[in-house]
Parts: sequence; C-alpha cells; structure tokens
Amino acid sequence: MERTVTVVPEDGLHARPAAKFVETATEFDADVRVAPTDGDAVDAASMLAVTSLGVASGEDVRLIAEGDDAEAALDDLEELLSTPETESEAEPET
Amino acid sequence: MAANESAPRSHEGTGVTPLSGVGSAVWYDPNADLELEAPPAAEAVDPDAERERFADARDRARAELERERERTAERVGEEEAAVFDAHKQFVDDPQITDGVEAAIDDGLPAEHAVEDAFEDPIAQFEGMDGRMAERADDLRDVRDRLLRLLTDADRVDLASLSTGSILLAERLTPSDTAQLDPDRVAGFATVEGGRTSHAAIFARSLGIPAVVGVGDDLESIDGGADVLVDGEDGAVIADPTPDQRERAAGGRDVDVREEPVETADGRSVEVAANVGTLAELEGAVAQGADGIGLFRTEFLFLDREAPPDEDEQFEVYREALAAFPEGRVVVRTLDVGGDKPIPYLETPDAENPFLGQRGIRRSLGPDADLFETQLRALLRAAAAEPGTLSVMFPMVATVPELEAALETVESVAADLDSAGVEYETPELGVMIETPSAAFTAEELAERVDFLSIGTNDLTQYVMAAARENERVADLRDPCEPAVLRAIERTVAAAAAGDAWVGMCGEMAGDPDLTPLLVGLGLDELSMSAVTIPEVKAAIADLETDDAESLANRATDAATRTTVSEHVNTTTDQ
Repeated sequence: MERTVTVVPEDGLHARPAAKFVETATEFDADVRVAPTDGDAVDAASMLAVTSLGVASGEDVRLIAEGDDAEAALDDLEELLSTPETESEAEPET
Repeated sequence: MAANESAPRSHEGTGVTPLSGVGSAVWYDPNADLELEAPPAAEAVDPDAERERFADARDRARAELERERERTAERVGEEEAAVFDAHKQFVDDPQITDGVEAAIDDGLPAEHAVEDAFEDPIAQFEGMDGRMAERADDLRDVRDRLLRLLTDADRVDLASLSTGSILLAERLTPSDTAQLDPDRVAGFATVEGGRTSHAAIFARSLGIPAVVGVGDDLESIDGGADVLVDGEDGAVIADPTPDQRERAAGGRDVDVREEPVETADGRSVEVAANVGTLAELEGAVAQGADGIGLFRTEFLFLDREAPPDEDEQFEVYREALAAFPEGRVVVRTLDVGGDKPIPYLETPDAENPFLGQRGIRRSLGPDADLFETQLRALLRAAAAEPGTLSVMFPMVATVPELEAALETVESVAADLDSAGVEYETPELGVMIETPSAAFTAEELAERVDFLSIGTNDLTQYVMAAARENERVADLRDPCEPAVLRAIERTVAAAAAGDAWVGMCGEMAGDPDLTPLLVGLGLDELSMSAVTIPEVKAAIADLETDDAESLANRATDAATRTTVSEHVNTTTDQ
C-alpha cells in the first residue's frame, strides 16, 4: 500500500516534525517506509534515516506501508504531514 | 609570566547578559571521562550481559531526557524543549540500535559498540550543510549520554553545583543548560557559542551572568580559581582585584519593583524590556518590566527554511501580550537586510548593508508579502488580549515611507474587516534611527501615536561610525552632543505632535544615564530585562527639576567629556 503526500510543516522533515513522524510510524504494527520522489525508501521508524533524507517543506514523499493496520498508519502519517506545524503546537494546554 | 603573576588575567568573549558574577571556577568537561580504553578480547565479553547493559542505559537515557524536556518546557519554552523529542527518537533509532547489537555480537562491550555505531551517522551529518550539520551535535549529545550511563563516568552534576560556582565549559548543550540552577550558578563562560546559542538564551531568561565564545584562552583558567564573569563587557577575569569584585557584586543588590515607577516628585516613566525571543518574556516579568518596549521579530524568521505563517506569528504576539495584561508590548516589524542573512530571502551583497535596503525599505519592496502577513497577525493579536499592542517601523528615513507603511496597515485592516476576522488597529509608531528621521520628527510624529529612539543605530548614523568597526568604537557614544541634540529634537517633536516618546537602545539601560534621559523628557525607557531594577531605582530617586537642568547642561556641551562631567556630578551628589 502506497501513497504520495506533500510535506506541509515549514521545517520539512527535520528535528521536531521528524520526531513526531517517527513516533507516529512506530505506533503501528505495519512496516512503514518513506521515500523522496526520486530516491530509495527508508525505515520510517528510524529518526536517523528519516532526517537524513533532508526533505524540505513543499516536497512530495512516498509512504509505503505493509501489514494489518497499514491503511490506518498511512492515514495518520498523511494527516501529520499535511498539518502545518503551528496548528498542532498551538494549544498545548489540553 | 612571573612579573604578571599577581595581575588579573582577562579573557574577552561575547557578553550575553548585562550582569556580573564572581565565584569559584568549576570546569565541566563531560567528554574527558568518556575516553574509552581498548576493548578486552572478544572471548572475555558476554554478549547477553552487554545487550542487557545497553538496554538499561537506554531506559535511563529516556528517563533523563523526559525530565530534562519537562524542565526546559517549564523554564524556557516548548520550542527549546522539542530538541529532547528528537534525542529520544535517536535513543530508539532502529538503525543505531541494530548497529550497536551487531557490534556486541562481534564481541565488543556495550560502550565500545555504542561508540562504533554512532561513528558513521555522525560523520554523515557532519558533511552536510547548515541545520543538517546541527543533527551531528544532537547525535553526539545522545552518544555521550549513553556512554556516560554505560561507563558510570563521573560527571559534574550541573543541577547541584555548589552555591557561588562559575561554570567553565567548552560548550553547553541544551541538556546541560536545562539543569543550571540560577540560585547556585554565579555565572558561566564557554569556549564556543554566540549570542543566539541555547546557552545564551537560557542565561538571559534566567538572569545568569554569562560570557560565550571566549576561545581556547579560557582553558588557561584552573578549576577552583576565583573568577569574575562580566556579561556586560564580555570579560572573564581570573583572580579579580578587590576593586573589580566590588563592582561586580554591586549591581545585584537592587530590589525588583513590580509596580510602575515615578520620580520623587511624581512624574511617571514607563520602564520596559527589550526582548528578542519568547524565552526572554519570563525574565522581563521577573525583573519588574512594565511591558515590552522593543519586541524584535527577527528570531521568528531566522534559522528556518520558510517564513512563519500568519497563525504562527499570531500565537507568538498573543503570548507576548498575555505576559503583560496591564502593560504595553511594542513590536518592531521585521528588520532584516543589515547583517542577518535569511536563507529564503534574497539579500543581494551590498557595499554597506547597514546603509542599504533594510528594515522598512525591504518591507515596502521585496518583502511586501511578508510585511502584510506580519501586519495581519499583529492586528489579530491586538484584539485577542487585554494588553496594549503597539507596532513600530524600523529604519524610516522619509515621510512617504511612513505613509506607505500606514496605508498597508489600513489595507490589511480593510481585508480583515471584509473577511469578518476579529482585529484591532494597534498603536502605530516610528523608530527614530536615521538622522533624516530625527530631522523630520515633527512631520513623523503628527502621523503616528509614538516615536521610539533606537540609540544604537542613531548613534552610528549620526556619528558616521559603523557598529562593527572597532577602530571607530570611540566615536560611537550616545553621549556625544550631536546624538543628545538629535534626541532632544525628537522629544520636542513628539510633544508637539501629541505622540509619546520612548528609547530602546542600550543607552536606555544605563542607570548612570537615567537622570539625563528623564531630564530630556522621555516617557518610556526600554532595556535588557536585567537592568530594569537599577533603572527603576534611579528614577524613584530623581527630582524632575534636577534632571531637566542636567539635560540642558548636557545638550549645550561642546564635547562628550563635558557631558560626562555633568552626568558624573549629578550621579555623585
């Protein structure tokens, strides 16, 4: 199962957005991989691998998931990558 | 050397807080303990036991990171705390843990396996540009944490330094600074680092005397030595003289006044803080600021790959206003083009960038879109909190520039209005930084609610002495009669135009000059938060008549030396 998503957070897939992305990817049983449009896929559970892709805001990535909850994983990761960083950080008081 | 033995040795760096402290030097050198000896022969290592040690070190690292994250979020801010989330992900990174376990299976003890597994990723990030290279620092920080936990290395416990310690270090990481207790640390100095490093931001928000970027020179100071850290002049002095000590100790005996202050005869003067990041807000409140007199917005735009959007800015301005529900927050619109390159903005090389396209000149030109977005966020924030929001434009040189800026505000307001978005038009003002603005201050004042004198730039432009040129540093004194007369002129123009007038340059934070500035008629003084208690105390001691007579004598003087004589006579009385 595969999906192409445009990265919206202004920091791209760097420190904070990347940490959240990896955290979300590891919540699922599915094996999730992420790839830049013109490159090889890497393990989405590896902070090291994800940040070294150097994906900037506005670029597309391919998300590839295999496993029972693959669809749910893709849904959550797509939502995360489509949400500007500020909105998810704006209300920490909950 | 022998002849110099008793003379204090002074080392120069960048002062990041206008505070001084004296104490006993403690060297913090976490990596010194992490030099590993050669690994034992593979047969002597039990891989199962090593895997268990590694798992245990990771558990403890996670727990430490969680504590440091909470502490930083509470004391500095969410944004600074987020770095620990990335560190936690690195601790659990499968690529790294697989590498460590493979090395353990090859017969290495856990600590050697950790060192091996981090080597390639660190080298990989080091070879990249800018922010990717910063990830190498994060990886080193995580590796060293794991090594320390695995080797039980003695580390100076930063959270429980003895009272009166002066911390000396190569550099301080976010994890390090998060542990510093301002009640115990009398100051710190680092070999590396600049004004915007984590350590500097932390020092300012907690009011710790600090000097960064001293260079290798710092290493000549032995642990246990008496050291003075002067965060104002950027000096680190080993074995200070009794005289130097006394001056360093002097500044901090003033009580913080939370309430606004008046002169002895009842003239009120607003005392506000200059703030460069949200992290500094807390310090401003703690030092008794009545509000923010200069909120620099550049930090929002620097060190990132795209500009902040309207909502992100709105939240920041709202947070600043929320810190002063009864006060005023003066926000300066984006002032770039001088010395601060921003990756996503095109800033062509110019012979004299400070005399080039910067401040309002960019906002009305190439950065018009950014300017509108910033104004939209500001107008919305003005309606969102009870405090007073004021907005001022930097580097204005002509009346038409100001009029164009005011028209942009009107058109943004009209847009918000037709979109049904809640907003309020804030107080609007001009920074008086150019000689041309001082000479047309009457015409500017008629069109706005306030003027704010930026003395650092005004002095460099009036004296034609560049801020970064040390050879003409002597000329850059705001007490030069020419600068004082530009200030005098601006204050008179503000009064004629029914505008209030403030000052937000370094001059405003010098308590020795407070009588002169109050005498000149300034309604507001804005400064680094840490000098607020001294300036408030100086105001409370003043009689307006005395201050005015000092100001008259000073503006009539022919030389800076005469001005100083007048100022000193008044201060000594």
